[in-house]
Amino acid sequence: MFERRLYYHIDWALVMAVVALCTLGVLMIYSTTFDPTRGTSRMYVTQLYAIVIGMGALVFMLSIDYRTFTDKSHLIYIGVCALLLYVMFFGMVQMGARRWIPLRVFNLQPSEFAKIAVALVLAKFYGENRGTPSWTDLAIGGVLTAVPLLLIAKEPDLGTAVTLMPVFLAVAYLAGMRMRILGLMFLCLLLAAPVAWKFALKDYQKSRVSTFLDPSQDAKGAGYQQIQARITVGSGGLSGKGFRQGTQGQLRFLPVAHNDFIFSVLAEEQGFAGVLVALGLYLFVILRALEAARLAKDRLGSYLVLGVLASFTFQVVYNITMSAGLAPVKGLTLPLMSYGGSSMIATLAGFGLILNVRMRRFTN
Amino acid sequence: MMTERRGIGSRLSILQYVITVIFSILAVSFWVLQVVEHAKFEEMAENNHQRTLALRAPRGIVFDRAGKVLVENRHSYSISIVREHTKDLNRTIRLLAGVLGMDEAGVRTIVERHRREPTYRPITIVQDATLAQVSAVKARRLDFELPDVVVEEVPTRQYPETMAAHAFGYVGEVNDAQVAAGGEGLKSGDIVGQSGIEKIYNAMLMGEDGAKRVVVNSVGREIRTLEEDPPTEGKRLQLTIDYDLQKSVEDAFDATEAAGLTNAGAAVVLDPSTGDVLAFTSRPAYDPNAFAAGIDRATWASLTTDEQRPLNDRAIQGRYSPGSTFKMAVALAALEEGVITPDFHAHCGGSAVFYGRPFACWQKRGHGSIDLRHAIEQSCDVYFYTVANMVGIDRINKWATALGLGMLSGIDLPNEVQGLVPSTEWKMRTRHEKWYAGETISVGIGQGQVSVTPVSMAVYMATLANGGTRVTPHLLKAVDDGTGWKPVPAPKPQSTVDIDPEKLQAIRDGLWMVVNSAGTGNRAKIAGKDVSGKTGSAQVISNAGRLAARTNKDLRDNGWFVFFAPRDKPTMAGVVFLEHGIHGPNAARVAHHILDTFFAKQDGRPLPPPPTKESLQFDFSDALAKKQRPPADTTDR
Repeated sequence: MFERRLYYHIDWALVMAVVALCTLGVLMIYSTTFDPTRGTSRMYVTQLYAIVIGMGALVFMLSIDYRTFTDKSHLIYIGVCALLLYVMFFGMVQMGARRWIPLRVFNLQPSEFAKIAVALVLAKFYGENRGTPSWTDLAIGGVLTAVPLLLIAKEPDLGTAVTLMPVFLAVAYLAGMRMRILGLMFLCLLLAAPVAWKFALKDYQKSRVSTFLDPSQDAKGAGYQQIQARITVGSGGLSGKGFRQGTQGQLRFLPVAHNDFIFSVLAEEQGFAGVLVALGLYLFVILRALEAARLAKDRLGSYLVLGVLASFTFQVVYNITMSAGLAPVKGLTLPLMSYGGSSMIATLAGFGLILNVRMRRFTN
Repeated sequence: MMTERRGIGSRLSILQYVITVIFSILAVSFWVLQVVEHAKFEEMAENNHQRTLALRAPRGIVFDRAGKVLVENRHSYSISIVREHTKDLNRTIRLLAGVLGMDEAGVRTIVERHRREPTYRPITIVQDATLAQVSAVKARRLDFELPDVVVEEVPTRQYPETMAAHAFGYVGEVNDAQVAAGGEGLKSGDIVGQSGIEKIYNAMLMGEDGAKRVVVNSVGREIRTLEEDPPTEGKRLQLTIDYDLQKSVEDAFDATEAAGLTNAGAAVVLDPSTGDVLAFTSRPAYDPNAFAAGIDRATWASLTTDEQRPLNDRAIQGRYSPGSTFKMAVALAALEEGVITPDFHAHCGGSAVFYGRPFACWQKRGHGSIDLRHAIEQSCDVYFYTVANMVGIDRINKWATALGLGMLSGIDLPNEVQGLVPSTEWKMRTRHEKWYAGETISVGIGQGQVSVTPVSMAVYMATLANGGTRVTPHLLKAVDDGTGWKPVPAPKPQSTVDIDPEKLQAIRDGLWMVVNSAGTGNRAKIAGKDVSGKTGSAQVISNAGRLAARTNKDLRDNGWFVFFAPRDKPTMAGVVFLEHGIHGPNAARVAHHILDTFFAKQDGRPLPPPPTKESLQFDFSDALAKKQRPPADTTDR
């Protein structure tokens, strides 16, 4: 199954960039969770375990031909949806949301794996269809995305749910969806916004949006995190305050610094220089993956790469924007850097697929 | 197939461009935040986590002349809200009011009053909190329920014994006018002296507040101290006050009040050679401790509306007719101006007529032919009518002034008031009228236009005691700025005048006889100490007016006793004034305890026990009281 020559076609540059970002993440987690009064926190160790497991997942996703995965994508998809249903009824409640399945080592968050499942199933579906997707094709793809999306949104975890949308949009776009339809979808979204505001959003979500528009109206409440994020980033300056010297993150002015706001901490402690390095690494990873999509030997491969990449890119861009206080605060983690086992494993597994497509570009 | 692939290729290229542009925008955004606007955010981050807390400097401790502590500091706790990190002020107010057992509306009013101040400045809700309140708040703080409430330990002024309230004064938060007047770098919230020596020597007593820069976390909890500038305690002051003598004055006045004679009056005792104030009292007094941690509204209202005006310092602000105690000034003027000799005799038949108007002596039987010494001893009014008429008002004014009457004493206390000894020039200036010789007659016995403050009477006696040096009474003896005690030189005398010792001796003889012979002051006699003094009973209102008055006001005469001792080498001089004390001899009874204490301490004898209301044996007989009509509002029987 794994031919020796394939080894030479692994994109080592992409692997190195991914490992570099993971390392950066671990350092920042160490920095923000270090508490001199309680001794070192174990969080960074947990994150290291997650990386090791994630690397295992990466190798596993790499070693089997991606067409095998897409052929079984309907099973994977149904399995993930079943897990999401399970979570809905038996999941662990934490911070007001039912998102986790408690395992011995860490808590499994099935929604993270839904991204890969959707990417696989959509790649398979559009890869089998030739030519510009018809309305029916779009509708079927939309439903395939909507089912896990709604299940996740119900947890509630609107942030993760929303990351499924780019998967569908990106794959459909690459499959040749007309730009007109894309425009139409945006229009619908725009029109749906007030309706959603009225019926779908919870109060805390509304306040997050309204305070984003004017953070000072609620400087102690919802606007607080946004203002603090901006202070954190801005006070970092060109070269940063130094490792574990960031006052904003260290003194808890910034909430969940090791998680949602890890990039703010990086900006504070490593400054604009550190930001440029991290941004550069992410950009390199994304462009390199797009290159894999271009090199893929079939459309299926291209769609799969882009599907996996879409949610990753969306999350990276949104989280970094939010870290600078330039977007409403939302519980979206920064893939590869934020603390979180499921996210790390799922993301690395996704990169396994991307490497897989590129590696097998010459095989038949 | 190929066209399709090309389609994918171009769509991927578009994505590449879009992603690159998005990342460029992100990079630029971070550049703006981190480089362009860095200074602004850096300052915000500093303010976020650094606090400067004031460390209050304790005020200087005040000692008596022997080193006994008169005014000190104690630790008290104040509970404040720092709104900077408050998420829900209403919740904090509600919770805090509950924890403190206070009215929620009251707490809200306090917060409202300081609403416009910067949010990092603590709003003090409770000054001098009880231990129960402090521990309740601290417990809640540990639970993170009240992270925006701070408990501060602040030094608070303490007056261990309520004595000499008007001399010590009191402290209070600096008011806006004082801040505006600037000087001494006063800032809002400072505690400054508002009265007495606390006010006069505020700059020395205040010390310098320190500061502590601390790092706080997002809920306002202090994490560590960055730097600490410890406060400098105020300078320590030593007063000229003698604790034991002061105590004797307070005890005597307490007994006077207990006896039901009067609760109002003043006493000042000086060292006649230096002007050291050995004791200083004004009654009724207030408790300076009530002001130390912020006076409450009710107490303040009761002090300011009290008809007896306890905040008034009668010793330096009360102006009263001196009555017979003025006679020595008239005598000295007559002797020094060569108008009479000590052997000058006048005939007293119980009254005499001047300028067609009869003037009565207090002794209706009359004193017969009487010389200066006996006229002082007997306090013969006719003798002094006669002498005053011979000397004239302007020469009386000259000598009374030289003795300190009608002048400011220059004592180191705020808001001293000047008395008055009239003159022709004074009348022309103020009334635009000429002085009538007939007006001089009542001045001869200290009535009429003459008014004096108790402190000026003490100076008067000191000047008679030391032979003509009008010493400046003062309370400050030495200062310790942390490098050891440095004596403060006595202030220069206000004036000196040459007095013929022989003539002065005649007056002193008279004063000695008042106490030690058949005079009115024998209640003040101390065996072997040659106490010399003079009583005075001064009308508050004319006798006719008093009989006609329909009022509840106390119209009984004021009682004076002025003194120095011993006669030939005086070591102390002073005054006891009893407002509505009826007679001078009653004041002499009060003075006796003071004199007794002074000499007991000087001789190393055990100090006399405090007088009781019985031991003072006051004379309540009031000739006019029987004739006085019942006050208008008493019901007829």
